[in-house]
Amino acid sequence: MGEDAVTAQAIIQSLASGLLMGLLYGLIAVGLALIFGLMDVVNFAHGEFLMIAMYATFFLFAFFAIDPLLSAPLVAAALFIFGAVVYLLIVRFAMRAKANAGMVQIFSTFGLAIVMRGLAQFFFTPDYRSIPQSWLGGKTVSVAGIFLPEPQLIGALVSIAAFAGLYFFINRTDFGRALEATREDPGAVALVGIDKNRVFALGWGLGAALVGLAGAIMAVFFYIYPDVGASFALIAYVTVALGGFGSVFGAFAGGIVVGLVEAVTALVLPPSLKSVGIYAVYLLVVFIRPRGLFGSM
Amino acid sequence: MTITRRDVLLGATATAALMPLAARAQTSEVVIGVIYPFSGGSAQQGIDAQKAYETALEVINKDTDFDLPLAKGEGLPGLGGAKVRLVFADHQADPQKGRAEAERLITQEKVSAIIGTYQSAVAVTVSQICERYQIPFVSADNSSPSLHRRGLKYYFRASPHDEMYSAAMFDFFDAMKKKGTKIETLALFHEDTIFGTDSGNAQAKIAGERGYKIVSDIKYRANSPSLSAEVQQLKTANADVLMPSSYTTDGILLVKTMAELGYKPNAIVAQDAGFSEKALYDAVGDKLEGVISRGTFSLDLAQKRPMVGKINEMFKAKSGKDLNDLTSRQFMGLIILADAINRAKSADGEKIRDALAATDIPGEQTIMPWKRVKFDEMGQNNDADPVLLQYRGGKFVTVFPPQAAIAEATWPMK
Repeated sequence: MGEDAVTAQAIIQSLASGLLMGLLYGLIAVGLALIFGLMDVVNFAHGEFLMIAMYATFFLFAFFAIDPLLSAPLVAAALFIFGAVVYLLIVRFAMRAKANAGMVQIFSTFGLAIVMRGLAQFFFTPDYRSIPQSWLGGKTVSVAGIFLPEPQLIGALVSIAAFAGLYFFINRTDFGRALEATREDPGAVALVGIDKNRVFALGWGLGAALVGLAGAIMAVFFYIYPDVGASFALIAYVTVALGGFGSVFGAFAGGIVVGLVEAVTALVLPPSLKSVGIYAVYLLVVFIRPRGLFGSM
Repeated sequence: MTITRRDVLLGATATAALMPLAARAQTSEVVIGVIYPFSGGSAQQGIDAQKAYETALEVINKDTDFDLPLAKGEGLPGLGGAKVRLVFADHQADPQKGRAEAERLITQEKVSAIIGTYQSAVAVTVSQICERYQIPFVSADNSSPSLHRRGLKYYFRASPHDEMYSAAMFDFFDAMKKKGTKIETLALFHEDTIFGTDSGNAQAKIAGERGYKIVSDIKYRANSPSLSAEVQQLKTANADVLMPSSYTTDGILLVKTMAELGYKPNAIVAQDAGFSEKALYDAVGDKLEGVISRGTFSLDLAQKRPMVGKINEMFKAKSGKDLNDLTSRQFMGLIILADAINRAKSADGEKIRDALAATDIPGEQTIMPWKRVKFDEMGQNNDADPVLLQYRGGKFVTVFPPQAAIAEATWPMK
């Protein structure tokens, strides 16, 4: 125990695991950043979106034997619709509040989170589910004694691909430009004929689809139950704050930082304190650069 | 006025009709509070517990022919056949909510006793409230040894605590060593609430006393999103035995992460909790052939004591699951409590407390492999012998102690 056990290999293994988890944290968090950047609304039901995506993946597997790798696009599409509907039915009205608009928005998404958890417990039971056999589940690539679990490896690749796609989408497509324009000045875009509600709904859809993608991959290696979103949502909030509120690529960098810091903290401190490292780095960022690493507010 | 024969008859009929009513009004029912997590992360344990208590309630309130206290006849004979009624309350695994709910049960629902709670951390606050209101608290399934050492007069636990469980594990190690198995180093892996902490402390203490070397002692944050770093340390330490004290969620993630990081311990000897849950074996059972968990219960006992199998069928009809280590203790807890109320011949907290303190039920009249149920001055039953169970081919087989074992332990695990 102690110093002699912390060999170079163990350090590399920890960093590799941290990097893979970090890329997934980034993918989980990006939807939150996207929605916040677009309309200054924090989605407190973000963890529950993840939970619903995991359940969707689980049920597609349990009833139709669709492997999570194949169902990931389906789950992302379903979450896209879900996100857009949440905007159109709930958030749109919350944003109309004349007084205490911020509070109304917080309570509306926070309430949604509680309702979603309750419904999940009622319909899916609080029992712990998991996908016992899948193409990736339990498989591992071993490189020079360093183990890279395939679910996390593919998850990391999907995360990188999703961020690359998002970059292309925001910078090269009309909708992406409309998204950017709406985010800069929602009043002005109305003058040039862009329907603000449509852009917001699509933004919510996109944000939910990204967390849906993350949920489908997580379902391969994580257990699923109604409260599963809570601990990941907390990390997502820190990731977004670290990367810079509203910055989509800040979430990418923030996720990697959180994953690595978590892994390194666990090497030097007792593992029960590993989230201390994350919050310490976050505090540091708050002191030195309050808007976050890539924030532009 | 003349009294006719008809009037006498009418009067007699009326009296006869009213008499059971009067008797019922006197001692119609005894209310017991059952406090568990029914929402939140461990809600499934609450739901399973509810089925276990409803099974016990059926045995108490209906006429059954089991050799258990109160099985024969309906209700509590000591209270004129009064029925037991259960009031369920949700503590959401939160000690503060547990405190509030216990207070509500006592003041609003007028319960005569409380039973619970799954999480030891919640048992701490619930038992304090019970003590204040002088209402007995039966700790059906909590295993933290610190619980009964707080000098509470109204605290009772019929099942073993983690030091007894851990001692049984080390007795088992000693026995295996005598047979020539190499067991020198241990890795402890425990979560950071009172359950994992107490369990880890107890194991570290006994390991020190008996000369086992702890090469890794990992306290981890419950419900962590990732256990990669922790498992990496366990792998580096590579102890002869891995000893986890984890609830279901962390247990699943632990086993999955171990497989992903290519860590295959020689043996796992688990402190129950998650490792007695069906959900864990549904998820990762294929990786756990040969895992050993401590327990207080095994369905093996049905071979020697047929009523265990029958009660299991009753429970299974309600829950769709076999009785496990937790649900069997919950079932037994309510039987023991109701037996005390029956002997107290009263719904008064203090009288029930005295009756509980005088409890002496032989092991054969339980569904557990215990010697007897008899509480010491701290409310702990020291005759509740734990067993060690090994998971083989999809079910649990008792492997220790020898008097309860039906098979030799397979070592190392597959």
